[in-house]
Amino acid sequence: MKHIEVKDVSFRYDENSPAVENVSFSIEKGSYTTIIGHNGSGKSTIAKLLIGLLEKEKGEILIDGLPLNLENLMTIRSKMGIVFQNPDNQFIGATVRDDIAFGLENHCVPTEKMDAIIEEYAQKVNMQNFMEHEPTKLSGGQKQRVAIAGVLAMAPEILIFDESTSMLDPQGRDEINRVIRQLHAETEMTLISISHDMEEVTKSDYVIVMDQGHVMMAGKPEEVLLEQDKLVQLKLDAPFSVKLQNELQHLGIHVEKSTNLEGMVEELCQLL
Amino acid sequence: MPITLENLQHVYAANTPFSYAALNGVDLKITEGKITAIIGATGSGKSTLVQHLNALLLPTGGKLTILDRTITAEEKPQHLKSLRKQVGLVFQFPEYQLFEETVLKDVAFGPKNFGATEQEANHRAQEALKRVGLDASYFEKSPLDLSGGQKRRVAIAGILAMEPEVLVLDEPTAGLDPQGAQQMMALFCRFNREQKKTVLIVTHDMEHVLNYCDEVVVMKDGKLFTHQKVTDFFQELSLLKELNILPPAVVRMREMLNEKGFHIPSSTLTLSALAKEIRNEVKHHG
Amino acid sequence: MDSFALGRYVPLNSVIHRLDPRAKIGAMLIMLICIFVPTGFVGYGILFAAILSVVLMAKLSLNFVWKAMKPMLFMLVFLMIINILVLKTGVLLVDLFGLTIYSDAIFQTLFIAIRLMLMIMITTVLTATTKPLDLTLGIEDLLQPLTAFKVPSHEIAMMISIALRFIPTLIEETQRIMKAQASRGVDLKEGKMKEKIMAILSLIVPLFVSAFQRAEDLANAMEARGYAPGAKRTRYKQLKMRPADAVLLMGASALCGLMFVLWLWVL
Repeated sequence: MKHIEVKDVSFRYDENSPAVENVSFSIEKGSYTTIIGHNGSGKSTIAKLLIGLLEKEKGEILIDGLPLNLENLMTIRSKMGIVFQNPDNQFIGATVRDDIAFGLENHCVPTEKMDAIIEEYAQKVNMQNFMEHEPTKLSGGQKQRVAIAGVLAMAPEILIFDESTSMLDPQGRDEINRVIRQLHAETEMTLISISHDMEEVTKSDYVIVMDQGHVMMAGKPEEVLLEQDKLVQLKLDAPFSVKLQNELQHLGIHVEKSTNLEGMVEELCQLL
Repeated sequence: MPITLENLQHVYAANTPFSYAALNGVDLKITEGKITAIIGATGSGKSTLVQHLNALLLPTGGKLTILDRTITAEEKPQHLKSLRKQVGLVFQFPEYQLFEETVLKDVAFGPKNFGATEQEANHRAQEALKRVGLDASYFEKSPLDLSGGQKRRVAIAGILAMEPEVLVLDEPTAGLDPQGAQQMMALFCRFNREQKKTVLIVTHDMEHVLNYCDEVVVMKDGKLFTHQKVTDFFQELSLLKELNILPPAVVRMREMLNEKGFHIPSSTLTLSALAKEIRNEVKHHG
Repeated sequence: MDSFALGRYVPLNSVIHRLDPRAKIGAMLIMLICIFVPTGFVGYGILFAAILSVVLMAKLSLNFVWKAMKPMLFMLVFLMIINILVLKTGVLLVDLFGLTIYSDAIFQTLFIAIRLMLMIMITTVLTATTKPLDLTLGIEDLLQPLTAFKVPSHEIAMMISIALRFIPTLIEETQRIMKAQASRGVDLKEGKMKEKIMAILSLIVPLFVSAFQRAEDLANAMEARGYAPGAKRTRYKQLKMRPADAVLLMGASALCGLMFVLWLWVL
């Protein structure tokens, strides 16, 4: 079942240059989709359009079959959550506990029910031991985990990660990627991750590649990521295993392509 | 002149309850004319260390020698400005330091502060902008109208235009897309090779360490953990595991293959070398 | 920044820390009235003793309170000079080369100094023992009755709490930009007027750019999490008055009464 449908959507920040132009794609319910593209390719604009922070110039966006317009905005937004890029700029509360509570307050959850919900989602992102901590005392990865908990507490059906790992160190990136994968395995949520992280892309169900406001490629990672030349053209990088396969090809050794190292090792072992 | 640190210490907010030792006695000799990567977990003291190199931070103990100058905790150093000109330091997310009306003016700001004439500063700014890949069509634009990657280039050009002897960069590729990051690293490489100048790069990206750097300094808990040639560093995997660092893909691939019965030498560190080794083994068996 | 004591929260566990912020704000207001009742040295002595005992109950170090007062010293010296120059009543104390100092000038300065000191002590106790967030909740609650007069009490409280939340972030940012510009040869201490102006611009412009960026990001994050100004929302943190709070308010009121008695009938 289609959870998100984007039909022929365009948007521009200023007159001359469209940020997103005639973009169409759809996303299955419960799937994990990554949207990739170089900086300025329009991928973050897509995220803001989906959640209604920007208003499309033309085209149609359907969330759960419901058209995204001013009338449905609040209904649709209550189904969606987003985690942004900068860990500092989305921490609203004074402490971890207050920050998770923020969304609940907006949704008019009764005060007496909040504590249980806050505890539950803090545990889900493994932040239960930091409840009274202020943001200045947390690492970037921890702040992003709190942001995830704050969004999860509002029980969204769709969760968007808008370059949520790009400002983090490797450890923080690892923490967040682990949470995303865990959510994909354990929940029915539709997950969309906007990212540069090629390793992470191989773990998603579906990839959309953007360039200059257009969707250039779309498909399963094992289809999209194998096209090294095309990816390089779009200012992206192919996974190491694909580059190795191409290099071996030049040396006259033929192996099946694989998007990850493990798959490549298996292929090569058969040649031994 | 190499850069030497002898028992360098830095304690933040000394003599208060918030006192915190960021550097705990670091002994280090940075090789002249090389690109040295400084790696380590967040909070290991990397940023504190590099801020000593142009005396933004002064040691609370120990000694630092850089470009004929000695800085110790005991004596307050004079003429810090001339050191800041010679050691160009690019902060993390440097695009946030742009403030002038035009790109050219912003890049010329540094040279002018260090005593260059208007004409000279403009000339150097133009050179630096070209070097970072921004042509004359950008000179009169407002920095605020540029994309994130372009802003970063302008900010780096602002330091290059000072014509420093040593270039220090704190996570210069953070937040850039893969190709933007590679171009950036290639730029520092060129600066190093063409002008034979020392470059230090704080980074988390092991692919960059492997592909662009000569030496690697590993910081841990405010101390020097190890200092090695990059080619040596990625041969020994136990160290990387101990540091909880994910090795570059080529090293991971090499190790995974060796576990499955390949015999690829641990000196194999590039894609083409790995492919050749695989070919040899496969042919050997075939 | 660590020596900065004025307005800073000190995380301790004391009777005073545990009090309801509304009671503390109320007591502070009552005490401020006390301070302005002209009771002379006797009254100020009583007030000082009362406030000092609260400071001790809050487990705050006297050094900390002293640090909070220090920035005011400069102002007091300035005030002293003005008073000496202007007030020429009372007993002539000094007459040096035409410079005359009268007793009223000294007394007047002393009274202001004492009042100022007491006021700073009181507010320091409040801010040092109350988390900023609790303080804003208290303000929100106290402003609640004013919503009838279209005072947006919730929005005011939200604005204050966000401002408080971002102060450390912006201080960090300022230090970072200062260092980055120092690396480009900016010297705030030396240089000609024009250079100094450039130096300040090089700090302020990036700070504004970044603050606006943060504000935009934050607004997006708040909106995406369902915040709409003016919309109905529940509140997680609930304040609760306890007997101790009543004791505090009664104590402050009694003290205030005493001051008025002193002023009107005794002195």
